[in-house]
Amino acid sequence: MTTSIPAVSGNKANVTTAEYVKLVIFNEYNPTTAANIIANTQYEIKVSGNTNWTTVGANSNTVGTIFTANANGTTGTGTASNVTMLTFSSSYTSDTIGNIEYNPLGGLLAVGPQQRSLRVTSADTSIQISGIGGNNIYEILESQGKIRGSKIEITRGFFNNNVVLANAVVRFTGIITNYSIQEEREGVEDNFTITLDASSYKTILENRIAGRKTNKSSWQFFDTTDSAMNNLNSLAGFSFDFGGDPKSKTVVPGYNGGGVPGGGSRSTTPGTTTPGQRP
Amino acid sequence: MAGLQTIINNASSLTIDRRKVVGLQITRNEIPRVTLTPTRQPWKMELEMPQSLTYYDNRDLLEALDTMDRVSPEIVTFSSNACLSWIFRYQGTLTQGQLNAMSVQSFVGNQLVLQTLPGIPSNRVIFEPNDLIQLGNYPYPFTSTTRVTRGIGSTITVTTNRPNILSVNVVNLGITVGNACDFYMFCPNMPTYKLIPGGVVRANGTTVNNAYIQFNDKFVLYEYVGTA
Repeated sequence: MTTSIPAVSGNKANVTTAEYVKLVIFNEYNPTTAANIIANTQYEIKVSGNTNWTTVGANSNTVGTIFTANANGTTGTGTASNVTMLTFSSSYTSDTIGNIEYNPLGGLLAVGPQQRSLRVTSADTSIQISGIGGNNIYEILESQGKIRGSKIEITRGFFNNNVVLANAVVRFTGIITNYSIQEEREGVEDNFTITLDASSYKTILENRIAGRKTNKSSWQFFDTTDSAMNNLNSLAGFSFDFGGDPKSKTVVPGYNGGGVPGGGSRSTTPGTTTPGQRP
Repeated sequence: MAGLQTIINNASSLTIDRRKVVGLQITRNEIPRVTLTPTRQPWKMELEMPQSLTYYDNRDLLEALDTMDRVSPEIVTFSSNACLSWIFRYQGTLTQGQLNAMSVQSFVGNQLVLQTLPGIPSNRVIFEPNDLIQLGNYPYPFTSTTRVTRGIGSTITVTTNRPNILSVNVVNLGITVGNACDFYMFCPNMPTYKLIPGGVVRANGTTVNNAYIQFNDKFVLYEYVGTA
């Protein structure tokens, strides 16, 4: 006898999902020039320049592309950062999203909630990886905090009724701001958990202090020929009320007379001026 | 005999759990919505040991259990014991030779496609629901969720209880069915045991000190799918 049992949700397909995490750890502060890249090492293109990165293993020359070099050094003006890319998922099997294979951790990976608002919102999240062996803890500690500041991208994959990955959508992009390692021993149970706290790029930008100061030296830091701020010293000590209402009887240096209430009017007779009027 | 197999062979009851991990929410207007986590759906078996095992005759079992502890997986089967082999008996109609001839054409998600089918009438049943199927020598049994008949095509498609969890290439692998399948299990909650003294008379007429073994909990065997 064949019995069909309808699904609880009115015969609608179950929503079957898994989380995919891509972690890019930067191993160096200053990018490597194209000539100095080393084979079998992972890099992220920082400056594409006139380097043809596809000749050393990259899929494209686009900035941000991560690849494993298949040769030592190449020509051109491009630079790339030495990175370590870790990809793992809560899926039951290895899945490939955008040519990147994600290692299945199953239920050992837990991803915290992510806020998705209509407007751009700063939001934090966290991921937890449990069932970690001692060697993995060593690797996290051995990296000497490099994991902080690494880029994180969380994608949610959607499976079809046959448990085959059908679609994937990026949910969160940000930077790892902190990590913690939890060791629990209860009786003979021993469990290690790594928690990675991540902040979205908006949070990073909110806390960022950067930019140029409005003085000559700061302005010429990047471009020594930039003269936009050269005359700034002559304005020192003046108070400006940018955007304020026009003040009455303001004397403009170099002109005879001051302003009149409501501002002056230009003479319609050529060659004649009256006090308060500009020629 | 290895420890876990001895437990299976001596168990007085068996509970099987291989359910999916499901999240169920009831909406405000009381319509249930289901979310499913795609896991490897490992087999979980709860085995209750009888209270009649004697210490004198089972010290090798205790040593095996204590040595194995909770971290070593072991291949176990239900075919080696005539009292257990009925549990996963093959329910289809193919002979062993016909089963041996079949091989895997593809296994994507939970759709297992088998090829080199026997020349039998199209209405003959190849798999009944709950029939175990193992691919090659990889001890991770899948079950057929529906009745599968021969049909008229060159292949049949079996919808399995769980998706393909094997990381190896399964194309052209042979299959094993029914109680001939193996399970790769470990026992994360290995119970401890208590010895209750009690002497027995040996066959030669002498009395020796002995004790009954009382396990303080059930053995819960988990399928070790980490290396699938």
